[in-house]
Amino acid sequence: MTLKEKLEPLLLKVQKPARYIGGELNSVTKDKNKVKTRIALCFPDNYEIGMSHLGLKILYSLINEREDCWAERVYAPWIDFEALMRENNIPLYGLESLDPLTEFDVVGFSLQYELSYTNILNMLDLGGIEPLASERGNDAPLIIAGGPCAMNPEPLADFIDLFQIGEGEEVMLEMIDLLQQHKKKGWDKQAFLREAAQIPGIYVPSLYDVTYDETGIITSVTPKGGAPEKVTKRIIKDMDKVFYPETFIVPYTETVHDRAVLEVMRGCIRGCRFCQAGFIYRPIRAKTPDTLCRQGKSLCDTTGYDEMSLSSLSTSDHPQVEELLDKMIDYTEEEKINLSLPSLRVDNFSEELLQKVSRVRKSGLTFAPEAGTQRLRDVINKNVSEKEVMETCRIAFEGGYTSVKLYFMLGLPTETIEDVTGITALGQRIVDIYYSLPSRKKGKAVNVSISVSTFVPKCFTPFQWCAQDTYDEIVEKQKALQHSVTTKKISLSWHEVKTSVLEGVVARGDRRLGKAIYNAWKMGCKFDSWDECFDFEKWKQAIADAGLTIEFYANRVREENEILPWDHIDVGVSKKFLWREYQKAKNAQVTPNCKEHCAGCGANKLIGGGECIG
Amino acid sequence: MADLQPKITVIEGVPVYDVRAFYHKFGRAKYISHLDLYRTIQRAFQRAKLPIWYTQGFNPHIYLTFALPIALGYEGINESFDFRLTTDIPLNEAAKRLNDAMPEGIVIRAIQPPVHKANDIERADYELTMSCKALPMEQLAEKLNEFLAQDSIETEKRTKKGPKMVDLKPMIFAKRVFCGDMVKLKVTLPAGTQVNINPTLLTDAFAKWAAIDLDYHNICRLKVLCADGTEFI
Repeated sequence: MTLKEKLEPLLLKVQKPARYIGGELNSVTKDKNKVKTRIALCFPDNYEIGMSHLGLKILYSLINEREDCWAERVYAPWIDFEALMRENNIPLYGLESLDPLTEFDVVGFSLQYELSYTNILNMLDLGGIEPLASERGNDAPLIIAGGPCAMNPEPLADFIDLFQIGEGEEVMLEMIDLLQQHKKKGWDKQAFLREAAQIPGIYVPSLYDVTYDETGIITSVTPKGGAPEKVTKRIIKDMDKVFYPETFIVPYTETVHDRAVLEVMRGCIRGCRFCQAGFIYRPIRAKTPDTLCRQGKSLCDTTGYDEMSLSSLSTSDHPQVEELLDKMIDYTEEEKINLSLPSLRVDNFSEELLQKVSRVRKSGLTFAPEAGTQRLRDVINKNVSEKEVMETCRIAFEGGYTSVKLYFMLGLPTETIEDVTGITALGQRIVDIYYSLPSRKKGKAVNVSISVSTFVPKCFTPFQWCAQDTYDEIVEKQKALQHSVTTKKISLSWHEVKTSVLEGVVARGDRRLGKAIYNAWKMGCKFDSWDECFDFEKWKQAIADAGLTIEFYANRVREENEILPWDHIDVGVSKKFLWREYQKAKNAQVTPNCKEHCAGCGANKLIGGGECIG
Repeated sequence: MADLQPKITVIEGVPVYDVRAFYHKFGRAKYISHLDLYRTIQRAFQRAKLPIWYTQGFNPHIYLTFALPIALGYEGINESFDFRLTTDIPLNEAAKRLNDAMPEGIVIRAIQPPVHKANDIERADYELTMSCKALPMEQLAEKLNEFLAQDSIETEKRTKKGPKMVDLKPMIFAKRVFCGDMVKLKVTLPAGTQVNINPTLLTDAFAKWAAIDLDYHNICRLKVLCADGTEFI
């Protein structure tokens, strides 16, 4: 019986079986006997989320462009299907060939959020691969990982053979070339890893020895076997020349982002101090409007999508944003395509731009002031003034909007109770502005919805030295916030705090934390980012069993001279700059954005020095 | 079929052509739910660049309706959906272009002007392929025959107003059990907007009655029928 025949009766017993069978339009099938290298691109979450991820779409098309390689997709099966797979001895398989993971040369994971790590272990195990790298034989597939969380690879050092740090378009192909050379001359995984560590951007954790003092603070990180002392992040210098898929796989079942996505820019000029993406993707590099129009047309033509989204950290900072929007709006109107424009910022949301955008179908209006008072916004360098927020809301309300969504964080460094209640006060002033407008929509109430998440300090940000608020502190602040809301025109929602606590632990974790992740998985933890699956008690136990504490990782202030677990990774932005920003933050001093004034972060060295913008 | 008269509707002074596409849904496409099938076909229209009629209004979208949606997991031999064309392009050409744009598992068999109305549908023929780990095929077939031979087959049906007991026996218009590598049941049941009975309601009732776990290998809607037993076209 083929796997497909074995799957049929099982698929009729699970939710959303289209997740598990592949065969979608534009998926790539090749003759496995005619390719040299087979790569499983895994996303450690379910199909709907994994299929929405742009990075893997790019790598999938990029690798499959090569005749000698075949890349397939693998997602984490949901609980119901996993149980049936285990019961019927069906190993985790690639969606294109339905072959088990053990038949691949390379199994790669995209690391987008820390709470997906137990899924990596579970997927390896379900695929018949030993999760611990030290227990895997020479002939087991090479296990690799990349993505933003690879900037601190240490918590996964026990499981992953090799990390690709930074943007993958070039380093992935270089790694495959080296792999093919080694396969040809007789595969010795250790020899391959030693040589791979010489490729810029590749980090092989087993080639580094880490020592700690009695409190658990790192005393040394020593490379061996010729591995470099620092691994520098890879970037693509010219965004107009970099590979971009001509088409996307069109899923049968609806995914989270089921649309054509155009990557407008990489990097961000803003330097908000809490935002890891704002630092690790530096320097800023944009695609020209012509390139974007060509790529957008190709995507829509080949997929039949009637929705297109412009993706970047801050689309309104594109150097030619008006030209870009003009062209895009004309094209999408003619083709009856809905254009969505996430990440438009408050402060340069001009009336002219708003007019153009208002030709696009109205969706919600969302802003992220992140903090309730100007002082705290200065601390986090969110250079948005209350005046600008109010002005934009006024323009939007006059343009017919009746609801605004605002994003805030609780637990930001230096936060006081005034900052917390300042969130509601800001919401109230937006409500007031609505009712002060004679031109508002008659008979319609305004709705200001406030969504509050918990701040988690991340590596490679100025707050990487900070203590995260404890669970109890955050819950106190949530209560204070809740009590300060006195009108039904403001609706309040927030995220589960416990998951943020764990995220805080893993985000700044060291190698020793691998033990805790392993323990947690062994105790049955998976899909930790899903409230219905998350089991904090098990995690607490897992961390304790590893001889570690939550407080050490999450709630401890680090000293300037402490060796941080990720110090041997170089993302371009210097540690000196981050420390400088941290000191300025404590004094509520702002730093202008890159367009106004270069702050000397150091990321320009990645493009060979000189200016990033201009 | 080629002599069917075109069906033209005039909308705001402009003629549009009502057409019905017949398709086979099988293989990996079986697992597309109705809502997802709707989206899948809309996207195929976009890729095929057919002169499709869009609904008028603030938020135009492709006009597309299904006379009898098919359940997730079912194969359908001759299913249909209706849409409109803005020009009278040859329908075999439209079918070819649409086919070229379809994903694996959906094949357009024909596009033609509609003859029946959706509420002309009264029954459908199904074929279910089953096995049971605990029973040899002969015994499974025997038990199924015994089950179907009962005077009444009471089971719980989920409705919009909550669960309700129904007797399936008078609703079985025809049935036959085959036994080979697997057990097959061919059955004709009510379908359409008035009463619609999924064949698995019957076989799930059987599994419960026999206290066994059934594995379905294929569930297939063979034909969609009108009251007089002719095929819906």
